[in-house]
Amino acid sequence: MSSVIITGPNNIQETVIKELHNLKILHIVEHSKNELADIGKPLYNAGRLSETLVKIRALIAALNIKKEEKKFEIKKGLLEIESATKSLNQEVSANLDELRKAEEQIAKNQAARQELEILKDIDVPLESLTSYKSLSYFTGYLKNNYNVKTLKEELLRITDKFMLSDNVVKKKCFIVLFVDIKNKEYAISSLQKANFTPITFSNIANFKGNASSNLKKLEEETKKLLQRKEAVKKNLDKLSIESKEFLLAADEFLGVQLEKAEAPLKFASTQSSFLIKGWIPSEELSKSIERLNKVSKNKIFIHFEPAKKSDKVPVKLKNPGLVRPFEFFMGLYSIPAYREIDPTFFIFLTFPIFFGIMLGDVGYGVISLALFLLLKKKMPKAKNFFSILLLASFVTVLFGFLFGEFFGYKFIHPVISREHEMFKLLYIAIAIGILHVNIGLVAGFINEAKSHGFMHAVYAKASWIVLQIGIALLALVYFGIISISPLVGAVFLALAVLMLLKGEGVKGLIELPSILTNIMSYARLMAIGLSSAILAVIVNDSSKEFFHKGGFFILVGVLILIVGHAINIMLGLLGSFLHSLRLHYVEFFSKFFHGGAKKYQPFGAKEQ
Amino acid sequence: MAADISTGLIAIGSGIAIGLSAIAAAMAESTIGAAAVGAMAEKEELFGKGLILTVIPETLVIFGLVVAMLILNLAKGG
Repeated sequence: MSSVIITGPNNIQETVIKELHNLKILHIVEHSKNELADIGKPLYNAGRLSETLVKIRALIAALNIKKEEKKFEIKKGLLEIESATKSLNQEVSANLDELRKAEEQIAKNQAARQELEILKDIDVPLESLTSYKSLSYFTGYLKNNYNVKTLKEELLRITDKFMLSDNVVKKKCFIVLFVDIKNKEYAISSLQKANFTPITFSNIANFKGNASSNLKKLEEETKKLLQRKEAVKKNLDKLSIESKEFLLAADEFLGVQLEKAEAPLKFASTQSSFLIKGWIPSEELSKSIERLNKVSKNKIFIHFEPAKKSDKVPVKLKNPGLVRPFEFFMGLYSIPAYREIDPTFFIFLTFPIFFGIMLGDVGYGVISLALFLLLKKKMPKAKNFFSILLLASFVTVLFGFLFGEFFGYKFIHPVISREHEMFKLLYIAIAIGILHVNIGLVAGFINEAKSHGFMHAVYAKASWIVLQIGIALLALVYFGIISISPLVGAVFLALAVLMLLKGEGVKGLIELPSILTNIMSYARLMAIGLSSAILAVIVNDSSKEFFHKGGFFILVGVLILIVGHAINIMLGLLGSFLHSLRLHYVEFFSKFFHGGAKKYQPFGAKEQ
Repeated sequence: MAADISTGLIAIGSGIAIGLSAIAAAMAESTIGAAAVGAMAEKEELFGKGLILTVIPETLVIFGLVVAMLILNLAKGG
């Protein structure tokens, strides 16, 4: 990477932006306002662009248009897009308005219908249910099995100036009662005895005539409204299909235009000039400068220099095709700093192996292969992730042959049995751990030598290797495998401690036991595999019992097999993935990796 | 299947080794998990790191398992 500063007069700013956008090579470092220079102003058309873009995105959302992988070309200018968007917007919002109105009216009619249903068999004109000066009326339900006659008799005791109609609605007695306003209090008290619950008819306040004819009218109206609603919906669907291509293309086109128009916000600017700071990969430098000078007719000045040690350089990871998907793991953790070893290749080597050892079953491997192949097709956005898992599943199948397992069933004589040779596998796991951790230490040595000098690398990283040699010698002597004085091992240990003290200070001493726990941690390669293998055997054994019983139980046995293995595959995939990743992130990375760089994102290139 | 008391004790011993370490790991993970979900609510990109941090104490169970296996090996070796 080379640091680049481009400066020039404002009148060619747009040309430079256009060329930079075409080049897709400059990672722009945002300028923050200071005393010397303000940030730049967006190009003249940025306001219009963003306004139209907002409209287009709203239309895309309103018409329910899904983004597609397919690219649409657009051959229109901004003005045409603007007018087309405007007319489309009017049409769509008119349709949406009508749809909303129809839906509101349908809901209103529905509410009115419910009230009319109650009044359907009562012979009272609807307009009479209103407020009077001399009359008072009640509508509502009486208590279950309360006799209307009793109520009538009760009222007759006081007055005969009342009108009472009743009807049974949904097994409840509904009444409408008109009384003289003078007798209102009495009527209330007698109604209370009947456990009266009033209901109001707020939705049919403006209705006239009797209920059943109104009901008919309403039903017809609702039918028409529903037809209207369908028609509008169809119309919108048609619009959606017709305008999909235009909208998606315009969205894309305007997005790019707006990016260009708003680019000056990242620049430093004065009254009449602009200044862009950024990074360009060194090998592309001369070509880009040439092209920039050409389009600007040599009116700009470009200053460049290679990255300095103290610079915060954006980083672009460079890996061959098969390894590239594994950059996903770096994105999840942290991008390696400039000049630091990129661990992606190491992850590519060991991640699938760790995963395979832990899952290690031909059946499970084949199933996960199929599953991830399907998911990769379904979700092209996460294709890197699934490529990793596909590779890991393939290695799982290989280890499945090594362990001789097919859904927990031993189908060939295993090279090493996970179930019966636990200790052998444990030693292999630990050996892998020692190897992996030491690869990490060597990488750390190289990193340290580059950034802090050779001697510091020896103290900080090689000391760990000396420490391991010391421990190994002591252990060999203890078990009587070699016969040298234990002093030799002790000397190595003491040397390692001194080196660490010099290299990393007291912190290094506190971390001393971590090398052992880190290596022991690789025992999970055996442990996770063991639990998955034994769970598979348990599923098989318990289904076998049902198979022996015969008849209906065979079905139960099959069910146990399917559910049991499905659960075990899920647990196995999750466990193997997480633990394999963790071995890299925690045990491996802690030996050499710092990270923390920004990702190199050239202006104009799409974010991945 | 007849087993003498010492075999039983060995079995119990290895059971305790893995059981207690599993409880310890669970306690540690519950705290980390809660914190990780909290952090994720603030910043969704932390999902990856949160997940990894949450499984870190699982090493404890693995140590427990190894110890349990070593104890069980006593039963075989006598």
